[in-house]
Amino acid sequence: MADSVQHPEMEAEVVIVGGGPAGLACALHLARLYAAQGRSAENILLLEKGRALGAHQLSGAVMDPRGLRALEPEFASDPELGAIPVEDDALFLLSPDHALRSPVTPPPLHNHGNYVVSLNRLAQWLGAKVEAAGVSVFPATAGRELLWENDKLIGVRTDDKGVGRDGRPKSNFEPGYDLFAPVVVLAEGPRGSLTKQLLARCALGGANPQVYSLGVKEVWELPANRFPAGRVYHTLGWPIPPELYGGGWIYGLGGNRVSLGLMTALEYADPATDPHNLFQQFKTHPWMRALLAGGELVRFGAKTTPMGGWYALPPLAGNHWLLLGDAAGFVNSQRLKGIHLALESGRLAAEAIFAGALARYPESVRASWMHEELWPVRNFHQGFEHGLFAGLANAALQMATGGRGLHERYPSVPGHERMRTITTLGDPPPRLTPDGALTFDKVTDVYHSGTRHEEDQPSHLLIADTDICNRRCTFEYGNPCQNFCPAHVYEMVFDEHGAKQLHLNPSNCVHCKTCDIADPYQIITWVPPEGGGGPSYDGM
Amino acid sequence: MKILVCLKQVPAKDAPLKLNQAATWIREDVSFETNEPDAFALEAALRLKEAHGGEVVALTLGPARAAQVLREALAKGADRAIHLDAGEAAAGAPPLDAFAIAEAVSRAIAGESYDLILTGLQSDDAGYGQTGVILAELLGAPHATIIMQVEPAGERRIKVKRELESGNFQFVEMPTPAVLTIQSGINKLRYATLMGIKQAKNKPLARMTLEEIGASAGLNRQLVHRLFVPSKSKGTTLISGSAKEQAAALVAHLRNDAHVI
Repeated sequence: MADSVQHPEMEAEVVIVGGGPAGLACALHLARLYAAQGRSAENILLLEKGRALGAHQLSGAVMDPRGLRALEPEFASDPELGAIPVEDDALFLLSPDHALRSPVTPPPLHNHGNYVVSLNRLAQWLGAKVEAAGVSVFPATAGRELLWENDKLIGVRTDDKGVGRDGRPKSNFEPGYDLFAPVVVLAEGPRGSLTKQLLARCALGGANPQVYSLGVKEVWELPANRFPAGRVYHTLGWPIPPELYGGGWIYGLGGNRVSLGLMTALEYADPATDPHNLFQQFKTHPWMRALLAGGELVRFGAKTTPMGGWYALPPLAGNHWLLLGDAAGFVNSQRLKGIHLALESGRLAAEAIFAGALARYPESVRASWMHEELWPVRNFHQGFEHGLFAGLANAALQMATGGRGLHERYPSVPGHERMRTITTLGDPPPRLTPDGALTFDKVTDVYHSGTRHEEDQPSHLLIADTDICNRRCTFEYGNPCQNFCPAHVYEMVFDEHGAKQLHLNPSNCVHCKTCDIADPYQIITWVPPEGGGGPSYDGM
Repeated sequence: MKILVCLKQVPAKDAPLKLNQAATWIREDVSFETNEPDAFALEAALRLKEAHGGEVVALTLGPARAAQVLREALAKGADRAIHLDAGEAAAGAPPLDAFAIAEAVSRAIAGESYDLILTGLQSDDAGYGQTGVILAELLGAPHATIIMQVEPAGERRIKVKRELESGNFQFVEMPTPAVLTIQSGINKLRYATLMGIKQAKNKPLARMTLEEIGASAGLNRQLVHRLFVPSKSKGTTLISGSAKEQAAALVAHLRNDAHVI
């Protein structure tokens, strides 16, 4: 069908793919630079695949104000944003039965001066300013394909609308637009689908491969005065196995609500590892159980985070393109923060676009506090490849040597390569059966993510060869897709001959990208479903 | 034809709902979207305009966020829009009922002459199914409900198809101006195009407040005292015994407890 369709065209000055903090900061700053010259911002186009700005924005989140302050110095006093100053922070070490409060909070987890925010709300708040500045914002519109002229990126094709499950156009079919622009900004978040196309086509990457963690989050409403607004707790240890990187969080959001979640590195050996189930176990810790008693689940979400740090950054600019925020990999994995870096990358990108010199963007990143912050922790995440204790020892060593540790660059491998076949492993890790009150199955949680997709559309999870799933993977890895997907998209069902067969529930997808990342055969390609589909992360 | 489409912004279908403290309404910390039957009313209006010419005006009543349904209607092809801004309701204040909404709309459009007023047959949130009908009464216009098809039938007349029970339909010819309440699923909703979204910014969107037209919740004829979340009571009973005993027990259960046979 794709060949016979006429795509309407639109010329633009800049196309920004993704309405998260990076894309919005870029759009806002660029529109303001334009305004100072009396130029209209209407040919700055911003695409957002969620049904509205903010719909797919999920984070913990504790935000370092540095990035936002550069754009909006008075953000802290705006009740529309509702940023809550961190009042109190602590680190807890969990064993299965005990929670030990660390006598000192390690400096990277000091959060005084930072703010508890909802990333969903931040995106809506920034988005309103971006729209008011005259940028053309297109919600419910995904970037589906990059448009090239030889090695020069010339634009983005948006998603076709109204294509049926059989791939045929329905009566309300609307072809995607070809948006042509001299600058394409990819700010798609972690493992962006266009970013993946771009890096593959240009054979680009960082010195180290990018690695990811999956964060599974719930918002709970607790009895009054249980957990104050602005309190920030982090946890290490149980139920994350000691050989794996990860940890939990609980943040006081105000209004008797808390954000709680667990990060699990997608770098595990045992294919039975289930980050959603680990998060459910986390809530059954006696300390957590007491905290949550009498409370109620309000929202759910899941999202990956790039953890590879400075050495995993691909080139940030190329032939008419720029990479921003999580799409590039700007996360400080030691401080577990990236929003400030995403915002600043957007601002610096806007400066370079405005100057008509894209190559200035990577230079200005290197000259900025982003580099100053990320360079000393360039080896932090790699230090955890042999687990928590080795990682903490490495972290101490790196702190003493300005980030270098024993040698300049600690290498790493893509997380999926660490997965081992089931025959080489002992018993799978314990699983918890949800009770429906404190702990929930994936389907119940997905309901609380507000996820919805047009049902009559082709699957947006492209599996290169399902024979590998049904034959090889079943025996080699036991179909880990069922475990790593936090939204029950992947299911193995028995066919009429009693053989296991992969069944997909694409409508459940919360767009976390875990499958694209963690699949040991790398045969799953996540592409955006029809624009407007996906979660609705209100207040997340 | 000059067509007014009344659209309501309602909580998104998949939004996890919670009651407010007084249990008189839901907490509004959810996403909102265009009421589904209203979206079909808009689609019907746009198709009438495309086939027979005229103008489509979109109208909504709600707080600032409700203007989103108008922006979407403009992006899909409505010519202009009217936002009856209800302001931010004070916590615990009752939402307007069907009568108050119809009264407000009738006052807002006084002085304009529409050939057709279309709206969804009911809202997905309050579900009164009354607003369109009361609006017709207030305007002194005829109305028809649960409409599946509309076509012009000569000078100032239309022919409509109504859905009745058990797969039956009724075809009615009626004079215009008229108010029609539209059934969901009667057509295939269009998508807003990027060009449509861009052009919508330059279309007129008039705003008037409820005070300006003298409307308020004081017009309500109905008061919601309390909402309840239905309690889930799913139970599984295992019937034991021989096949014959099981069948007898099952029949007794269906007859005496479930009351289905």
